[in-house]
Amino acid sequence: MTVLPFLAITFGAAAASLLTRGNRRVSVWIGILGLLAAAVAAARIGSSDSLEIGGGVLAGSEYLRLFALLGSLVSLALVLLGLVANSHRNAPGVLLAGIGAGVLALSLSDARIAVLAATAGGLVGILVTIDRPATARSVIVATRELRALAIAGLLAILATAWIARPLGDLAAVPDVFGFAYVGFAVAVAIRFGAIPFHFWAARLADAAPEITLPMLMAWGPAAFAVVALAWADQSVAPLLLPLTAERIAVVAVGAVSAVLGMLAAWIQDDLEHVVGYTIIADAGIAILGLAALDPAAWEPARTWILVFVTVRSAFAAWAVSVRAAFGSRRVSDLAGWAVRAPLLGVALGIVALAAVGFPGLATWNARTALVDLTLAGPLGIVVVLSGVAQLAIYGRLLYVGLSRPSDAVRAGQSQRPTWPEAVADRNVTGRGRVERVFERGSHAGGAALDVIWSLPGAFRANRGLLAGVLALAVAGLALTISSGGLGVVEAASAVPGQDAGPGPQPGDETGPEPSSFEPEASEAVPSEPPTSGPPGSAPPSGRSPEPSFQPLPSG
Amino acid sequence: MTILLAALTATVIAGAVVTVSAREARAGLLGLLVVLIASPLVADPLPGPLPLAARIAAAFLAARLIAIAIRDLGQPTAGSRLGWPVEALAAAAGAAVGFGTHGLGAPALGPAAASAAGFAVGVLAAAPIVTSRDVFRLGTGAMLLLSGGLLVRAGLGGTPSDLEQLVTAGLVVGVAGAAALIIRGAREATGTLVAVDEPGGPRPPSRHLGRGSGAGSRGGAGGAHPVGGEATPGASSGASSGR
Repeated sequence: MTVLPFLAITFGAAAASLLTRGNRRVSVWIGILGLLAAAVAAARIGSSDSLEIGGGVLAGSEYLRLFALLGSLVSLALVLLGLVANSHRNAPGVLLAGIGAGVLALSLSDARIAVLAATAGGLVGILVTIDRPATARSVIVATRELRALAIAGLLAILATAWIARPLGDLAAVPDVFGFAYVGFAVAVAIRFGAIPFHFWAARLADAAPEITLPMLMAWGPAAFAVVALAWADQSVAPLLLPLTAERIAVVAVGAVSAVLGMLAAWIQDDLEHVVGYTIIADAGIAILGLAALDPAAWEPARTWILVFVTVRSAFAAWAVSVRAAFGSRRVSDLAGWAVRAPLLGVALGIVALAAVGFPGLATWNARTALVDLTLAGPLGIVVVLSGVAQLAIYGRLLYVGLSRPSDAVRAGQSQRPTWPEAVADRNVTGRGRVERVFERGSHAGGAALDVIWSLPGAFRANRGLLAGVLALAVAGLALTISSGGLGVVEAASAVPGQDAGPGPQPGDETGPEPSSFEPEASEAVPSEPPTSGPPGSAPPSGRSPEPSFQPLPSG
Repeated sequence: MTILLAALTATVIAGAVVTVSAREARAGLLGLLVVLIASPLVADPLPGPLPLAARIAAAFLAARLIAIAIRDLGQPTAGSRLGWPVEALAAAAGAAVGFGTHGLGAPALGPAAASAAGFAVGVLAAAPIVTSRDVFRLGTGAMLLLSGGLLVRAGLGGTPSDLEQLVTAGLVVGVAGAAALIIRGAREATGTLVAVDEPGGPRPPSRHLGRGSGAGSRGGAGGAHPVGGEATPGASSGASSGR
């Protein structure tokens, strides 16, 4: 089973990194090596692997492999940036535990267990929310975080438990599924900090270190959302129940978050808050995916989730690099940053391209597909336009960056490569030819030692450059994913389904009457749940294509 | 419902009442420990010995983590404003509702006792979670809330699998660890179990939507974490010193 090594590495390295946090250097290097090993283990996750363990099943998939690989690589880049930005001592451990918990949740085939794992993964964020020495504000932020996690966890536990059993006559009552569906959707919205549940998430940007923001606000909740998608798609959507009011409520949360999140990001002066609100806005689109309850939403919703967490991680990496270079997170202090750090300017441009996209790009296609499936008419146009309007955010940052450098920026780090003068002058004094040959050889060895000894100094002198290169690398990864690279679309459309428990079964006599499956999810005709055939199994003959989200062949 | 299940249900509810109403933190913690140990036993059939051992070990570890955070605490917690009799009555009402609505309209796979205990614990957890500024009560409330949810889940879906018990054990320890960190942080920051914003103190330079906005303020010193201006360029800056 190829998921187990990944879990063992991430949780083991997280524990080791947290236990050695007293020695910051050791802790960070454990984190770096752990994330490297995790990336290797993630690349080896098999799409058809499964392991029965303790009455549950851990299953691999292409989507899981991609989630684990991207999460490990992005976390690795962020930890390396943390070396430059002098981040929280718990950050490497939190990133490792966070990605481990996310992968565990996605690999569990039982949604009831998966929500427990996803909730537990969110809790590690509190390790970095409270500073040392603690401040009253960081404690307040942490209490809000704990409260949000507990309430979201409770809602998800109850939602998955309620309909994960033979429901008898209750299976014909749409309200049951509606309550469960809304409960889980609200839980996802709370985890993402979607508007109007954003108070805790907005303040999280004040307290948590920059490098952990993507994990706390995007990757962890994204795993939770993917679990919710799989659960809804297998337990609620196939029944084609008339959940109009419930869907409207979920769509409203998603649309409001998408629009107001971008607006809020645009008016922020603090880079972390800009990043935080763009995450909330993108999460709104992901929530639209949960509202669709349509087979056509399966692939774009999952594609969008993977794209947006990667793109926002790249944006966060850029923000970390800027603060590391110029010592400020305030946009108003950063005039001329792009002039002093052109690599970061390029990185921001790539992030902007990856975030907004254009027709044909996976990110654009996923966003428009989700909006089309949930919002018709002018409202849908507004939501799509809000995605495009985020160009104003990047434009504002670039405008500030290209203006005359401020004092803070002038005093900051340049990205011009430098090398400390380490090689000492050595005169050749030998008289004989052989003597001079030996002497030159000795000098060459000495010079090589000088160079090696100067590497740490060179690293320190080129921190700004290295941070820029890292930010650029993560931005490149984000653009790759945003354009559909690494097989993200194929992976999003084909994964093993999640077992939502016994649930209403096709043979359940008291369940809803079977009817022909029609592809329109809005049609309020109850029908039987999908058959749980193996991935790739053909639909029963004589039927129209099933509107279920059963796994498709991954090959 | 067997007598054993009834007794365990009563034990869970009593432990939860003590947790939310005791003003002595150690007594509250003891009540929480009772809830955490007894709640996995409110199931039919009982969990296997290994998952049960994992849950009990997690309960002790969770209690230990919080015990470390409240060590040498020289002051009482906020306790319940309503008093334990009211809390007990509310829990009894919750238990009656849980018992009466067992299965929530459909045949359940678990015992009615679990639903009764879950509803009762959930009712008791509501006030600390929603209103409490006391971080000890908030932390124990969060644990009770999730315990209540897990009890209802056991009532609806039957005894959880071994893997679910193991993940639940991890969740219990995680919540307790988070609560312990918050309690320790509050004591470190304020010397009490209550963390409140300094009145008139500077706010982070943010313009958040809705209430609690720090619009217009520019100071970073009051932020939970230093922002621009305090930091000096480069890794050796004091921007995040102490982390």
